[in-house]
Amino acid sequence: MTESNGARSIKQVKIPALESVVERNQVWGRMAAKYGVQNPLPPWKSSLDGICDALDESGCGSEVLGFVDRRNEEDTLSATVYSTLPYPENQLVSLAHSLIARGVVDEKELRERMAVVRARLEA
Amino acid sequence: MSEHDHDHEHTRTVAPMVDEITDFEVLEIALRELCIEKGIFTAEDHRRFTEFAEHIGPTPGAHLVARAWLDPEFKKLALADPLAASKEVGVDWLEPTGFGTPSDFVAFHILEDTPTLHHVIVCALCSCYPRPILGNSPEWYRTPNYRRRLVRWPRQVLAEFGLYLPDDVAIRVEDSNQKHRFMVLPLRPEGTDGWSEDQLAEIITRDCLVGVALPKAGVTTNVITDTRPALHPEVY
Repeated sequence: MTESNGARSIKQVKIPALESVVERNQVWGRMAAKYGVQNPLPPWKSSLDGICDALDESGCGSEVLGFVDRRNEEDTLSATVYSTLPYPENQLVSLAHSLIARGVVDEKELRERMAVVRARLEA
Repeated sequence: MSEHDHDHEHTRTVAPMVDEITDFEVLEIALRELCIEKGIFTAEDHRRFTEFAEHIGPTPGAHLVARAWLDPEFKKLALADPLAASKEVGVDWLEPTGFGTPSDFVAFHILEDTPTLHHVIVCALCSCYPRPILGNSPEWYRTPNYRRRLVRWPRQVLAEFGLYLPDDVAIRVEDSNQKHRFMVLPLRPEGTDGWSEDQLAEIITRDCLVGVALPKAGVTTNVITDTRPALHPEVY
């Protein structure tokens, strides 16, 4: 069996906004250790599960990003482009990557929204 | 209460928190907001699915097995009509979220172990898992490494979880998919005579229900495994 065209192309898409997130490396394991927190998973994990389920069950979800494509791309990206990230950070960043690669979310738009969200959380 | 006492109280009762905004939590919120604004899903749907993700876990599955060990009639029901047995422990597979989301994976099967046959579940294609009754799948279950290798070398992969089965015990790997979900009904272990359903449920861990561990008196936690990356993630 050979690598599919879809798998090959998804990892070739460069997304600097997500590369910056990877470089900053604020992964949960590191942050939890720094602050002495015991939870094995970050607090945003259940909300990420909510996004994935809402996407899978949405009327237009399969047109936007179908379940099997989402999981296949997550596996591919987690093993390649985002291989330095642990779970569930690799799940989150892979989902963002898949949505940007499909043009569902624009990279610039995501970068700007992240700045707005951060400003709001730090206010 | 003096100011000193107040501070002291906080030291004793407030759990530590990550006092820093991470890029990952910012990314999750930003992505969610954009999806909602684009009409991909609603904020209400997201909230409900998040609550669903928060409350599911392996407790119903553990009680189903414990009850089957204690009540032969319930065991017959569990094997003949797993959906009806699931309802007895509070899980409705036809409407698993409890808020009107119909399930498309209603073919739920309970796999009974025998002294000469052991079952273990996998999803070779992606990560299909009986979430309504077992909760979210563990990280290792999702990995291509587990999925690819379990179907080829089940005995060796189980040994990596610390489960060494004798050669005279056959291993059957059940491959889940979008329509079929599975759960293992393991054998009741020795040393549990006279135990109540609640006592038995405590030793029926998630790992036992997946089939990567066997229930044992005194063992109430899952195995911690290192997640291995796949060497050829796209080939399986």
